[in-house]
Amino acid sequence: MLNILIIGAGQCGNRILDSINNKAFGGGRFSKYYSKQKFPSRVETIAVNTAINDLKEMQYTKAKDRLHIPHLHGVGANRIIGKQCFIDNKDLIMRTIKERGDFDVAFVITSSSGGTGSSFSPPLIEELKNTYDFPVYGVVILPFREEGTIYLQNTAFCLKEMHNSGVDGIILGDNQFLKYAGTDIQSAYDGINSMVAERILFLLEALDSEMMMVTDLGDFKTVMSGGAGIATIGFAKGDGTNSIKSIIQQSLSPNGLLFSSNIYEEGSRAMIILRGDRKYLNIDDISSQIDKLSSHIGHVFKGVIIRNGEIPKILSVVTLETTVELDNLYTLAVEAIQMEKEKHDRMALEKETGAAFSKIDGLEPQY
Amino acid sequence: MKTYHIVKCGLILIFILILSTGTASAFNIYDEEIYKGDGYQINNYFIEVFNIISHEDSRLLTINMYQLKSDGTYEELDVKRETNVNNKLTKHKYQSDIVEIIVMEKNCTSTYATVDITTSGIKVVYNQPVKGGLSSAKFIGEPSLLLTKEVDKTNVEIGDTIRVTIKAKNVGSGPAKGITIDHGITPGFTFKSAIYTTYPEELAAGNPDYTQMYIYEMEAAQSGTVTLTPAIATYYCSTYDSEYSSNSNSPVVTVAQEAVETSVLELTVTPHKTELQRGNKVTFTVSLRNIKDIPATTVRLDMIYPYNLTYESGCEDIKIIDNKPVIQKSIYEARYEDEYDYTFLANEVGIYNITAKVSYNDGANNIINETTSDMIYVTEGKYDFLKEYPLYVYIIPIIIIAAIAGWIFWRRNQFKM
Ligand SMILES: Nc1nc2c(ncn2[C@@H]2O[C@H](COP(=O)(O)OP(=O)(O)OP(=O)(O)O)[C@@H](O)[C@H]2O)c(=O)[nH]1
Ligand SMILES: [Mg+2]
Repeated sequence: MLNILIIGAGQCGNRILDSINNKAFGGGRFSKYYSKQKFPSRVETIAVNTAINDLKEMQYTKAKDRLHIPHLHGVGANRIIGKQCFIDNKDLIMRTIKERGDFDVAFVITSSSGGTGSSFSPPLIEELKNTYDFPVYGVVILPFREEGTIYLQNTAFCLKEMHNSGVDGIILGDNQFLKYAGTDIQSAYDGINSMVAERILFLLEALDSEMMMVTDLGDFKTVMSGGAGIATIGFAKGDGTNSIKSIIQQSLSPNGLLFSSNIYEEGSRAMIILRGDRKYLNIDDISSQIDKLSSHIGHVFKGVIIRNGEIPKILSVVTLETTVELDNLYTLAVEAIQMEKEKHDRMALEKETGAAFSKIDGLEPQY
Repeated sequence: MKTYHIVKCGLILIFILILSTGTASAFNIYDEEIYKGDGYQINNYFIEVFNIISHEDSRLLTINMYQLKSDGTYEELDVKRETNVNNKLTKHKYQSDIVEIIVMEKNCTSTYATVDITTSGIKVVYNQPVKGGLSSAKFIGEPSLLLTKEVDKTNVEIGDTIRVTIKAKNVGSGPAKGITIDHGITPGFTFKSAIYTTYPEELAAGNPDYTQMYIYEMEAAQSGTVTLTPAIATYYCSTYDSEYSSNSNSPVVTVAQEAVETSVLELTVTPHKTELQRGNKVTFTVSLRNIKDIPATTVRLDMIYPYNLTYESGCEDIKIIDNKPVIQKSIYEARYEDEYDYTFLANEVGIYNITAKVSYNDGANNIINETTSDMIYVTEGKYDFLKEYPLYVYIIPIIIIAAIAGWIFWRRNQFKM
């Protein structure tokens, strides 16, 4: 049995963590009163935030698993303040993690664009890597593009810093790409969180499960170490009539992925986990489909989890060599940074000259 | 005692003899007018004016005398007649060895004679002029007294007084004369007083009723079954110069040993209410009274009650012995009275009573006295239907609900910041 640590940082990370805990109880609003969490492994979850209200909002994560870093109500998307705040509270955070015992793998979930999560996560991962041996993966949610220049610039720096932190891989989710998950912002968040949570739980099962065709943490590490260290997760569910082939394809299509990517073009390594009743899991079909994928990208690990009577579900973890979408994002980010800089300079200049006020220099009011 | 009795009887006899001899020599009748054909009877001697024969100025009187017999016949007696030549009056005389009857003519008309009758040797018990002569004379027979002795009670204790009544009835054919009653002294009884002594000396034959003769009271002095000494009536009849006596019956009286004075404890038990609901309490008051002048000892008061009642509490005299309320007192003073409260819990629906039982020594014996209260009616309580089910039926759901509530509360706190 694996020992798994999941940290949710910032509001976005907290919420996704809460969704994971909710699903581990079996889902549903009151499941925590009558159900036990069904993690396949020993899972410790820790929510970290500077905003106590965000922590209080959580419902399925035990209070003892919520770590408040006292800093008023968030860091207001300011990563400079956020980073300083992490440094100030690093010992508390690391001590809290240490108390939870030894781990085989850790996941840090955060948004890339906020203040707290995006600024805590890179140094936290760095700290974990320095302290422990186990692999640490980032699960990073990208912002809606229209959310503004600060969020874009934060994303750009966050991803870069995280990449340089020694992380063993970054799994991307994209609000922009997944916004169809809800009709309004709140339901979209809930839908996206639920999707991410479902995939992570599936992944945990794949890492720590009696599988017919084994994949394990080692395989996952190998997959994640491929490519540019950027990965995403796909998921698809059969309806009992569609073929396993089409389900696999679906999991790799934009419908199944968390981040916009042409897997066959951009993919580097993949891990496909199939779960369901044996009757749906035709080995030949699976093999042919996996072969097709591997012929395009490279190595593909596959695992099969037999669940009697269950319709087939498929999880695909794919690392990307290149990503057009991320390039586009960075292009936007650069524009955003320049815009911010220009705005900053202009404001500085206006501050210096006094702009409007300078127009009445030397004039006296006349009555 | 017996000798004394005989002597006494003898003395009475002698006295009666003296009395009768005196009377026998002195019976005379003077100037008795007897019509022709009529007569005069003295005891069973009958003197008849048989005939008066008139001749010019002179009259010749003939008087006959008869001895009447018990069988209704008679015997004509040999009468000697002597007529005085001077006055022409006739003397009639009957003479036997003992008896002498002289009828002296004093005057005579054509229809009646006036005579003097003198007798000797007769103890006269009956003398009467008789209309119609010999054919109307009646034999005067022997008296026979039936004597009864009655007592007013036959079961007494020593020291008790009994009243004895002696009655007599003459069932003979002749009058009983000179009756004396000896009431009969009974050993074991002490004569106290004579209540009635004025009995008649004479009882005529033929009266169907008893005549009260003697009433007296005596006190029982000895225990045992005593047969009273019969009363004796002594009497005589002049016709036959003999003594008679009759004995009464002998009532039997049982005399018990005089009772020792003892104490008596009286007991009542009263419920304060007779209707109540199950689960409620009811108090019983036991009142215990010594109604005698002697204290009772080793008094113990127990309550006998059904298992559906549970003793709850009571007055301070009560001690719990073997799970039961008991009051014990070494002495319960004479005329002492007290009340004791017992409170019971009614466990079951039903009709019950309780019994108070007092045991004590009354000075002579160990006595047990019990009394039972009125019925009390225990009905279903308001929430009694709840008791129909065993406790766990209520407890278990409550425990479960409490556990669930506790769990939810605890769980909620686990997830609350
Ligand atoms: N998918 C998803 N995205 C979220 C959610 N909440 C916030 N975000 C996104 O996260 C970004 C904002 O970051 P947050 O996590 O809210 O910020 P933070 O880390 O709490 O930092 P501060 O609040 O600035 O201290 C925005 O791009 C949001 O669109 C959520 O519940 N689900
Ligand atoms: Mg926040």
